[in-house]
Amino acid sequence: MKETLPARAMLFSMAAMIVYTIAEYDNWSFLRYYLLGGFSFGARGGEAGHFILWYGWVATAALAGLVIAALAPKKLLARLPADLVWMVMIAAILAVAVYEKRWFA
Amino acid sequence: MLAIALLAFVTFQAAVMGDASGAPQPSFLARHRQIDVSGLAPVIILLLVAVILLGATLYPAYRMQIRPYLEAHQLMRANGAFEVKEHFAALALLAMPAYWAAWRRPLAPAYGPARRMLTWLIAGMVWWNFIVGHIINYISGVLS
Repeated sequence: MKETLPARAMLFSMAAMIVYTIAEYDNWSFLRYYLLGGFSFGARGGEAGHFILWYGWVATAALAGLVIAALAPKKLLARLPADLVWMVMIAAILAVAVYEKRWFA
Repeated sequence: MLAIALLAFVTFQAAVMGDASGAPQPSFLARHRQIDVSGLAPVIILLLVAVILLGATLYPAYRMQIRPYLEAHQLMRANGAFEVKEHFAALALLAMPAYWAAWRRPLAPAYGPARRMLTWLIAGMVWWNFIVGHIINYISGVLS
């Protein structure tokens, strides 16, 4: 495990950034923060008020990244190009730009 | 203070890391540009995580007090810039394991391009978040 740790760390970041982007687009989140009621797993009723999904997006992405990086076989890790990580990051930034362009129109 | 320290360290690392390949540099100028900034990586990781955690604790207050004002006054761009800031914070945080692996000693030549690109991208995100944070602070100061 120790010798594959850098490659697993790279894979974690790639997977987590991809899952974060999907979570942000599709509002995947197992965790919500209600402004008037704190953290909650899943949705509360309509009267619970405004909530923040950001914490849930990050937690979902981190959890998915952790599972993928832990379960990845050594063969895949050996073939994983490190350059993919910054390409994924640029793609995630572009996805953010597309998603948030509504504010700047 | 933590945010300023983070900004200074990550900017310095991005500016002087050279090609970050870990390979010997052929020219005199390139050799002098190649200051070993790998020791900054753990400090940058700690600072970035601390700054984002602190920001995360302040986020509900922003949503309750400042965002409604921005929406009420049609300050769409300020609102959007903050939305981008929150995504950049998340992406930078999630990129930390890869950043750690890329800067792990001894520097792996195979990770050279990833090291360079990740450092530049993270530095850019830190700058964006710093500037937007100050703009939002200024706006919230004007309203109070």
